[in-house]
Amino acid sequence: MSIATRVPAVGDAAASLSSFAAAHGLEPVPVLAAGPLTPLLVESGAGRIEPAAQGQLGDGVSGALGRLVYTRNKTFRFAVALTEVPASTPFVPRLFCVRAGRHTRDDEFYGFEARYSRLWTESVALNDRYRIAISPYQDENWLRQLFSPAFVDWLASDAPESFSFELAYGALLCSTEDADPDEAALAGLAAATAAVTRRIRRECEE
Amino acid sequence: MQINRTGIGLIAFFLIFGAAFAVVPFLLGIDGEATAIFASIGLIWVVVAIGLALYARRARDKAAHQDQVFRTGIKGTATVRDAGSHVTVNEMPLMSLQLDLDIPGVGSRQVSHREVMPVFAADRMAPGLVLPAYFNPADPGDFILVW
Repeated sequence: MSIATRVPAVGDAAASLSSFAAAHGLEPVPVLAAGPLTPLLVESGAGRIEPAAQGQLGDGVSGALGRLVYTRNKTFRFAVALTEVPASTPFVPRLFCVRAGRHTRDDEFYGFEARYSRLWTESVALNDRYRIAISPYQDENWLRQLFSPAFVDWLASDAPESFSFELAYGALLCSTEDADPDEAALAGLAAATAAVTRRIRRECEE
Repeated sequence: MQINRTGIGLIAFFLIFGAAFAVVPFLLGIDGEATAIFASIGLIWVVVAIGLALYARRARDKAAHQDQVFRTGIKGTATVRDAGSHVTVNEMPLMSLQLDLDIPGVGSRQVSHREVMPVFAADRMAPGLVLPAYFNPADPGDFILVW
């Protein structure tokens, strides 16, 4: 006779998410069809976060956490967290703070693209780690207020490894390039997502 | 539209190899028929490179003009009456928008407007959506839509 204990296997990202959801009171969802809300979700095709868990990601911040996996020649795997900041649209319709050097596709090479963003390179501290893209018609004063010294320090030094975020029309998708996140990595992503959400929300209220 | 690094690479590729195909066979003294074939291919590639470069320059001039309208234009609004797309350009929908423009000091008018947008933006274009717009004071028909 043997006693079987279910221990999340090393490398079992779904089990890690399930454990994390149980420990933090999130509701597991087999598939979350987020749709093409942000560039990364567009790249993934259908924008399916699978598996996912919904609920409180941090103080006053609810959303969904899960895995985004898709193949565009190569297979790309992300741990993602999705929240909403609807009030941000009039202030910053698009803001992409993406890890420098991150690739999200490997199958198309177009020479021309829609002119929908431009790089914002004002923050030297962030330039080493991120590429920040905004609308060509963004109010930069508002952006300078959003990227306060404390927020810049946190992004540059304390955000999880390979962290990126994309804000598009109120939908905020935070991600790490972690193919196999354990519970600690998921906790880090959830906390970082909550921090970014609160920071953008606070700046919109001011 | 704007050129990106891939586009610059494509122009450089067609220009350099096109010129090489057109010139090198002559320099090497290769026989007439082969030289003519290489020269024809080379010339076509050079023409392609020049065409792409002209398109890129036109796009750059248009972007500069749009930036000027943004800086000096009258701020108004554009309300989406209808939005749809049947064409994609590099995986991005070419949106056909019917807009109600409200231009301070000028009045209202209805226009059709076409714009290539990324999918995540095109998905938001729905009747009733109000977007900021900047109008050229000298020509209110010349405007940029901030989406």
